[in-house]
Order: sequence, then C-alpha cells, then structure tokens
Amino acid sequence: MIRGGSSYISSPPAFSNDAKRLLVCTANTVSIFSTSTALQVASLEGHTAAVTSVIVVPGTKVLCYCWTASLDGTIRYWDFSVPELLKTLDVKMPIFSMVIPSIVGQPAESNEKLTDVFAYLSIEDKKVQENRPKAMHGQIRKCNLTASRMVGGLILKETPQPEFITVSSSGKFFGIRNKRKLHVWSVPAIDSGRSLAKKITLHHSKTLSVLAFHPTERIVAAGDVTGRILVWRGFGYRTFSTGDELVNKEEEHPGVRGNDDADSCSTWHWHSAEVKVLSFSSDGAYLYSGGKEGVLVVWQLDTGKKKFLPRIGSPLLCFTDSPDPTLSSISCADNLIHMLEMPSMDILKTISGIKLPHSFPGRYEGLSSGFAFDYTSGLVALRTESYGIQFYSLFDDHGMYEVQVCERNHQPGDEISVVVILVALSQDGSMMSTVEVKLPEEGIGGLVCLKFWALGSENKKFTLSTVIYEPHRDAGISAVAFHPTRHMAVSSSYGGDFKVWVCNDEIHQKGQTLQNSGWACLAVGAYKKKPMTAAAFSLDGSVLAVAAETVITLWDPDKNVLLAVIGETFSPIVTLSFAGKSEYLVSVSRDPKPQLSVWNMSKLSLSWSYRLHIEAVACAVDLLSFAVLALLPESSMCTESNESMSQGRDGAILLFNVMDPVPVASWSVRKAKGGGLSFLQGNPSFLEENISDGNAPKELLVYVNGDHEYVLFDPYSNEANEVSMARRKGLVELEETGQVGYASIYGELPEFKRNQTSLVPSVPSERPWETIFSGSSHNLPPLTKLCAAFLESLMEKRTAAVE
Amino acid sequence: MAEPNSTFKPIKPKLKPKPKTPNQTPESKYWSSFKNHQIPDLISSITSLTFSPSPPHPFAATHSTSLKIFNPQTLSPSSTISSFSDVVSSASFRCDGLLIAASDLSGLIQVFDVKTRTPLRKLRSHTRPVRFLKYPLHDKLHLVSGGDDAVVKYWDVASETPLLELLGHKDYVRCGDFSPVSHEMCVTGSYDHTVKLWDVRVTGSKTVMEVNHGKPVESVVFLPSGGLVATAGGNSVKIWDFIGGGKMVYSMEGHTKTVTSVCVGRVGKENVEEGREHRVLSVGLDGYMKVFDYGRMKVTHSMRFPAPLMSIGFSPDCGVRVIGSSNGVMYVGKRKTKEENVDTGLRSFWSLGVEEERRVMRPSYFRYFHRGQGDKPKEGDYLVMRPKKVKLAEHDKLLKKFRHKEALVSVLGNKNPENVVAVMEELVARRKLLKCVENLDNEELGLLLMFLQKYSTVPRFSGLLMGLTKKVLEMRVEDIRGSEALKGQIRNLKRSVEEEIRIQHSLQELQGIISPLLRIAGRG
Repeated sequence: MIRGGSSYISSPPAFSNDAKRLLVCTANTVSIFSTSTALQVASLEGHTAAVTSVIVVPGTKVLCYCWTASLDGTIRYWDFSVPELLKTLDVKMPIFSMVIPSIVGQPAESNEKLTDVFAYLSIEDKKVQENRPKAMHGQIRKCNLTASRMVGGLILKETPQPEFITVSSSGKFFGIRNKRKLHVWSVPAIDSGRSLAKKITLHHSKTLSVLAFHPTERIVAAGDVTGRILVWRGFGYRTFSTGDELVNKEEEHPGVRGNDDADSCSTWHWHSAEVKVLSFSSDGAYLYSGGKEGVLVVWQLDTGKKKFLPRIGSPLLCFTDSPDPTLSSISCADNLIHMLEMPSMDILKTISGIKLPHSFPGRYEGLSSGFAFDYTSGLVALRTESYGIQFYSLFDDHGMYEVQVCERNHQPGDEISVVVILVALSQDGSMMSTVEVKLPEEGIGGLVCLKFWALGSENKKFTLSTVIYEPHRDAGISAVAFHPTRHMAVSSSYGGDFKVWVCNDEIHQKGQTLQNSGWACLAVGAYKKKPMTAAAFSLDGSVLAVAAETVITLWDPDKNVLLAVIGETFSPIVTLSFAGKSEYLVSVSRDPKPQLSVWNMSKLSLSWSYRLHIEAVACAVDLLSFAVLALLPESSMCTESNESMSQGRDGAILLFNVMDPVPVASWSVRKAKGGGLSFLQGNPSFLEENISDGNAPKELLVYVNGDHEYVLFDPYSNEANEVSMARRKGLVELEETGQVGYASIYGELPEFKRNQTSLVPSVPSERPWETIFSGSSHNLPPLTKLCAAFLESLMEKRTAAVE
Repeated sequence: MAEPNSTFKPIKPKLKPKPKTPNQTPESKYWSSFKNHQIPDLISSITSLTFSPSPPHPFAATHSTSLKIFNPQTLSPSSTISSFSDVVSSASFRCDGLLIAASDLSGLIQVFDVKTRTPLRKLRSHTRPVRFLKYPLHDKLHLVSGGDDAVVKYWDVASETPLLELLGHKDYVRCGDFSPVSHEMCVTGSYDHTVKLWDVRVTGSKTVMEVNHGKPVESVVFLPSGGLVATAGGNSVKIWDFIGGGKMVYSMEGHTKTVTSVCVGRVGKENVEEGREHRVLSVGLDGYMKVFDYGRMKVTHSMRFPAPLMSIGFSPDCGVRVIGSSNGVMYVGKRKTKEENVDTGLRSFWSLGVEEERRVMRPSYFRYFHRGQGDKPKEGDYLVMRPKKVKLAEHDKLLKKFRHKEALVSVLGNKNPENVVAVMEELVARRKLLKCVENLDNEELGLLLMFLQKYSTVPRFSGLLMGLTKKVLEMRVEDIRGSEALKGQIRNLKRSVEEEIRIQHSLQELQGIISPLLRIAGRG
C-alpha cells in the first residue's frame, strides 16, 4: 500500500540549521527535502494525525534536532539527520500551533544550564460544551518540555477557534490575532513554570489575518482582510517595561487606537485582498508581504518603498526565512514551495506537491473526469488552476512536470474565466487531449478549444500537436476518449454530435510526413439530435459506445456506422466504460436518479444495476472486474455515524465481477466526493521490493480522494498482504557534496575505467570453496575480497533455523 | 518541475489552419527555383525547341519561317536563320553542336553551320511536309526524318541522299527520337497511334518493335536508360519498357487536353541516387507543365502557364527550361547553374595564393582579437544559451500593466485584425472588455466601429465581433446619436451587415438546390 499526495502547505515549513534541508509538514509525517535538489531525502514518521508545527532547534550547523506538534495531541522530539524519534510528550489535546520562544532567541549552549524549555501551545479543548452560545474552543497554554508536563491550570487566552501563534525571532514576544485584536505576550527573561507572561492588546477596525514581529526592535506588523498592513512601532513600553523608565503620558501616539500600548501605528495599503503572508527580513530592514494576488511585496521598512516578485501564479500562504541569508521559501496555495534566492528573488527550485482541488464555475462543477491516469507509468494528470495539467508520479509521490494548456498568465484573485475542463490520456500514455473553455463575458467571446498533445520521444514531455477551436461549434464537450491501440480519439458534445478524430500519421503511414502530424476529423455522428454525454472505446477498439443521454449507441469507429442502440436509463449517463475484454459495458448516471448499470453487449440488454451515486468507475484491463467509487447516501450516513468505524467516511470502493452483482470486495473511504479511481499496471521497480510477498500484484487500484490524497493497493490480495507492502524508498540521498574547485568550473572529469575483473566467481553454489579460487591467478579478485567470501561459504546458513 | 511563471506571456492570435500537405517538397522547391523569364514577340507558335549538346548549351527555337538560336545566359537571340520557304517544323543540333539541321513544311531539310548561318546541305526527298528530324547521339554523318508522307528516312548528310526509307506507318509521322545508347536505333511516333522502333541495320522496312499508344502520338522520347520510352498522345503520357518486350509501365493521365511535347529533365542534385534524378517533363494544350517521376510513378510538380503549350526543352546542364506556347511566347526558366560556380571556383583557384597570405592574422591586427567570435559551435561544444527574450508588443506592455482600454486602443491603431481579436479575447477572459467599451471616448469609439465594420462579417472573427457589435451599439447609443461622424460609421456598418445577409441568403438558396441532389446521389 502506498499513500501519498499530501499537502505540503498545511503549516509553515522550517529550514534546518545549515539551510540545506527543508522540513515540511505532510499530513502525519514530516518530509525532509533537500533545498538544492528539491527532492525528498527523508521523512519523520510517527504521528498519528496531521502534524501542525515543526520547530528546528537552532544552533550550529551540525545540530539536527526538531520539535513537532500534531493534532494527535503529542509533541515529539526528533533527530532528523538519522532520522530518529527521541522523545514523546502527550498533551492529550489536539495542538494547532506551537512556539518555543526560549530556544529561538538563545544559542544552543544555554541548554546546558538545564533551564526548563517552555513551549506555548495553541490547542483545541473538546471538552467545552457545544451548546454554550460563544464556545471558546481555542486555548493558549504553556507546556514544560523539559519536564514533559503541562503547566497546570494556566490558560493564557481563550479564543473561539484555535489560533496560529507567531513568535518573534528574538524570542521575546509571541502573539496571536483574535478577530480585530492582536494579543502580544512578552516572554519572561527567566522562564519558569509559574512566571506569567505579560499581555498587551492592540486593536484595529478590521479583522486581522496575520502578524509578524520585528527581529530586534519593538515593531509588530499585522495584515487585515482588506489588504492593509499595519505597523505598530514601540509597542508595550508601558506594560513590558521592567525597570523604572519614565513614561511620558502626554506623548502623541499617532494612529494608535484608544489606550493601546504603542508609540505609533502606520498603515500601508497595496494588496487588494486579504494579506496572508507577513514576515520581516532577518536584519529587520524589509517586510515581506503577500496574499491572494500571488505577488510577493518587499517593503523597505523605513521608507515604505516597494519591490515586487510578480506572477507567482497562486495565492501565497507562508514565507519562511532560512539561517542562510540568501535562501528563503514561499509556500503557495497550489501545493508548491518555491525556494527563493534572496536579494534577487529568483526562484531556484520548486518542491511541487500534488495540485489541490479547485473550484469550477457553474455547470462544470460536477464533471467527473478530473483525473486522467497513465496506466503503464503510474502517473496521474490533474488539472491545475493556472490552466495547466500536472503530471504526478503516484509511485514516487512527487510532481513530474506541468504542461501549460493555455498560454496565459494566471491571476489568482480574478474571477475564473478560462478553465481546463477535461483531460484524457491514451492507454499507452503517449497522447493527451485537453479541453479548455473560455467563459463568455455577458454572452460574448466564449470559446471551446480541443487540444491534442503528443509525448516527445527524448524529453518525455507533452508538446502541442493540434489545436481545434470550437470542435462542436459552440457546444460544450462532454467527454474525450482515446482508441486503445490506434491514433484515434472521439469527442462527444452536448450539442448532439460526436466526432472521431484521427492523427495524420496514420493516414499516410509514411515517415516523410512526420513533421506535419496533426489530428483531423474523420467522421461525425449523431443520434436523434440528443446530447451526447459520454463516450468510450472497447478494449480492442472495434466498438465505440456513445451515450446519447439515456440510451447507449454503439458504432463502428472506422466506417462510422450505427451498430446498435441499447438502453435506457432513467437519467442521463455521465460515464461509460467497457469492462476489460468482456462483453459488458458499465454505465453511470447521476441526478436525479443515480444508477450504476452493467449492460450485456451480446444480448444488448441490461445485465444488472444498482441505485448508487457513483463518483468514479475504473475497469481492469485484463480481468473481468471493475471497481466503483460510490458515495454513501445521506440516510445511511446518519445511522452509521454512531459507529466509531465510519467516522467521516462518506464513500465506499466496491469491486465487482461483471457477471455478479455481489461485490467481490469493498473498502470504506473518506472524502469520496470529487475522488477518482483507476487501475494501474504494477510498476516493475516497485514490484521488486515486494517480491518477498510471493505473488506480486499485477494490477493496482489507485484511489484519489477529494483532497487529492491517494492510496495505491492491490485489490485482489487480502488485507494483511496489503499492509506489508512497504512504501517504496525512492528517497534520494541528500546532495551534500557540491562540486568545488576544478569540478565546479570544468565539470567532472570522465572516469577512466580500468579493465575491471568482472569475472568474479560470485555465483553462490553449494560448495563455493571449489569454485572460488578457480581460474588463473591474474583473473582472481584481491585476496581480501576472496577471504570474506570463502569464510562465509564455510559457515552454515542459519537463517531458516532462526525462524 | 513547475517552471517559474515570472515571465509575462504575450497574447497570441488564434492559429490558422495549416494545409494538410506541405506546399513545398524539396522537389517542388527545385522546380520553382527556375526563375521565370518571358521571351515574347516570336511570330506564330513555337513548333520545336532543341538544346545544343555542347556547352554552353545554346538552344534553338523554330517558329513561323525562321529558326532562332538563343544564348542560355542572356536569353537573347544570338542568331536567326530565316532562309526557309515555309513554316519550320523541327530542328536538331549535331552532337558536337557545330551544325544544326532544320526541316520545313515544304519537305526540305537544310543543314546549317551554327556560327556562320550558311546552309551547307539541302536534303530534298520528302514529298510532303517534314515534321521531325533528328541527329543521332554520337554519329555526325547521318540523320533521320519523318513527315506527312508516312515515310521515315535515314539520311547520309554529306551526300544528301536517303540511305533507307523506312515504310510502315500508315499515317503522318509526327515525332521521333534516337536511342541514347545506340546511334542505330530510333523510335518514331505517328498519327496511326503506333510507335515503332527501327534499327537502321535492318533492311527491308521491318520494325524491330511496335507499340500502340491508343491515340495519335504527338511526341516520343527515349529515357536516359535507353530501355524506356515515353510517348505522348491524347491526354496521356505513357511509359513503355522496350527491353521488356514493349509493355506499358505506366500511363500518366494528368493533363486535361492533348499533350503536345515531352522531354527528359533532371533534378540537379548530387545526393540523389542514380536513376532517381531523371524526370519526364510534359506540356499540353491545357497550359500545364507536369513533372513526372517515373521512378516513383508520381507527378511531383505541376505548373500552369497562361497559353496552350506546344513544345518543351531542358538544357543538359539543368540550367534552363524552355517552354514554347502557341501564341509565340517562350517561357524560359533559368537557374543559377553549376557552370557559373565552376567559373568562379576556377578564378578563386588562381587567386588562391594571394588570399592565403591575407588570411593569416597577426596580433598587430584589430580583427585578430575578435577572431572566432563568429565561429559556429562544433558538435561537441557545450552551448551557453542566452535566455530568450520575450518580445512584447505595445498592447502586451499595456496589458501587463492592466491598462486595458489603452491596450485596446493601441492595438486598434495597428491594423492587424488578428491581434485586435486576440486582445479582445484576453479582455473577455479578464472580464474587462465591456468596461473598456464603456470608457472609450468618441474618437476611439470611431476607431472601434471602423474595425467592426471591416471585420465583423469575416467568418473567422464573426463569432466574437457580432456579439460585440451588438453590445457596443446598445451601450453607446447616446454617444453615437450625438456625433455625426459616428453616425456615418454606423451607416457603413449597416451596409456591410446587409451585404453579408444577402450573401448568406444566396448561399442558403444554393444549399437548398444542392442538398436534394446530394441526397439522391447518396442513395444511388
């Protein structure tokens, strides 16, 4: 079983002390990426719920310790170089955010004095009664990490929701936003269990969204939902002052509301929408801000002058500075983490996670084919918000590349006007087809565009082959399907016709017209002017099935002749799929009367059907089985909700044999709405690691849920076997050795291989001492090597006996 | 990995459909590389064209009662022979290019010195008009002729006597050719539909072989291998295999009217394998010249001329292609030939010593320090590529700054309808087009209306522009009423729309007429 596709952006990442690694919270684990290659090098596994905070213990570059907090209510302490779990604290309440001010500000050596390390936690108290009108779920609490216990009875603040805690890089202050207020605490200089942090509150007229502390001075910046940035200077001199400084009460406090404890407050306004990112540079001269526009703004703190990094393409969520002043990272809402080279703000590398689902306007909401799976190579193609297709490797759990479908800059804040609605891949993965729709502005300027892409032979990337504007006049396209073996595709439209497209290569069959290979329409078909809602080729490609609303029409794709009509269902069919090589056809119709039907093609009649709301269908290529992802009806959800088993599970995967309406197997799943399902060919490299299982799975079933997290498993094996299939360790070694000196200038010298004695008699035979020294002496491997082999051969193999 | 999106993407107009077949194959490129010249003002039709076998390959054209010899470089007549009493029908150079023989319709054959234009011999034996004569390839003493008396004669030129009278044709003999491999074999074609192969060593008027073309034969030519013969008659050119017993290899039916003349052309490429480079060029009364690749049995190039074509010739060095038309115009295609290159190459060979000295560079010379900058990279070299600069047009720059109206006005001023429509589409995607229209002042609105008047009925743009026109009129009706100039624009717009409606009506009528016919045809 392989899990993956988790979000990289659920909480802010953290850099290691040498800035060569980035620790990213990915669901229940913390993934460690190399910043130079943007590939995953390790992961910290142990938490049983989503990790919300990761804090690297600062210190010298070799120090690799970190604290993590999770929703499972534990705080864990890791050595992430190994990686190894060192310590676990159980708080028993889900932790939403954690800061450890004392370790941030001080050098690591101070730990030797055995002072207690205190963490401040933002936790959710579930014991609070639901029926209270203003339930305060969020609490800020203090925890002694050294003594592994909560500081009893100390609740710094209660908030309606658990809030994200921000800490200043000096470690003196931390704060939260709470609606229109900002709460700032000063950390006592010598922290002990009983010493109470002092609090001030700053007010604003709008709801605040984010705050940031200046690294050295008493400046706090906050962003609000309207896009304003407020900068309070000199906050808390009255409350936090420890000595006997005189506070002049007649002093002017420009811009400061009411009786707030701050010297001045200035407002900057550039962002048009909510500010999501605020961060001071490490020297405190600049303030970085970002938001929904996908533009990183750099403010010079003294003058308010701006510099921009425009067109990042997605709303910004988080800005993280690294100990290396030339490197920082920004997290974007489309599950990307960009590494920025700092003064110039060039994007060096990008860690790309699976694209998160995004909303589609209006009638494109319910389209099922959000995913296209590459059967052989185990890739999934997802539509991105920035008019592209992302190819994500399911076996390796990282993004391969993106194809820009529409040559347009994406402005995240704007109304969605161009949308990629369909993507289809051929079975061998060499061809792709996309459909994009430009939505009209008050009835003018709408455009449907069908594009065919071909996989390049050398770089393995898709390049545009053919563009077809308005393939079915102005009607929308409901489905695109590829012929399983030939260069042929079909597109069906709501306008009442379908078109069969062929690639020019096939017409000529000669190499001389290769440079001009394009797709052209071969045939057009229609059935009683009914909207065509789905299309599929049979596995041998001899039959084309097109659904005309409630009936299924079968065609000969070559001669374009209507062969038969079968039907009908109660509501329009949205998905058609041939079940393997069998004579059965699976159809799915949705609202108002959802139905899953299996049709017998030889009898041209309904074989069996269920009244189920089906989200996705996947058919095995060879076997007579197919799997469906069914949404559980609301009524059954209510009854089952008492059971602890089906918590939050709203769907089920059912595996059927076409002959038999009783499912072969079933699994209940979470977040099935908007999910996808497909069979994949077992990856050979993946199989090698599981050979110990005995029978390697031939086909794997992949389930992608509504949040684009996925799981791969063998649907035919039993449960125990599944679990034993470990995730492939495709982790790349951290590239510590940068090229220096000669190699950095001229590159690596070619390795001159001497004639290696490849004829080492290493074949393990029953009596290896007979063969091990055979052969002429110049052919023999060195004695040191031979000795070990010889001794080993003499020893008795006891592995079997141990068991 | 995702590319950083930090470059602004300029808008691009929609793509236009490309033709399915590439319009430029290497071969058609070759044939179109013959630069067209016209030599007008020859009287009457040009009955025959022949090239001298010796360089620089001057060519002779016969028309009316004269024979003109042209210089292939300058394409000007170098000499004119007009001592004929009737229309000259055919001419042929001797293999050394010093003599030329010409026949006329009085039945007389004369042999001239090319340089001095003096008639050296007069061969008089044919009683009816002579239609063709031909010198053999390597034989300076004999020639063959044929005419309307249906007799083919083999002459000893020096003694002005016919050695052989080859009888067998039952109608006018119109054409003939000597074999390229033997000076004793010749073919003749006649209006009795037959092509006969003669061997002058065989006495008694017996043909070696005979094939039936099926139509009166207008022209016949041996292909360079000596085994194949191309014949032209009716609308077809046929290739015959004479070694294989005279069976037809292929019949090319590309012409729509009678094919009048064929000759052998060559694709002057070195890398083409032997036997693949020869083509049959044919011209017909339909005004087409067709290039037929008899290796692949395919017409590889076709060219149209504005007059019925009578004759064709192709120079042996592939430099000149001449076509004679029936109205006295010669269409000459000329290419830069190898000849000139060889000439310059020769010159550079002689001046090599001088240039070699100049090429050696010394550090005292400024260019020494710039040497190698223009060098092309070698195969193994690693190229450091400069990042490609994205070229932004004026409207792109304005769109980048979100100055939408200014972008629209700027592109409207540029007169490129594709770009205008592309900008409009981008504005639609940004939901700003109607706002832009609202904000246009009267002058800019005039610009927009002018554009709409011009292009809103163009099918490629009408999908967007029709809707936009309607919206513009709705939104800006007050402003249009207020301005006289805008009213004029609207009148023009109305006129073009009415014109389009008329066209659509007539097209629909046509469709109404055709569709029952198509249905009947489909049933049949």
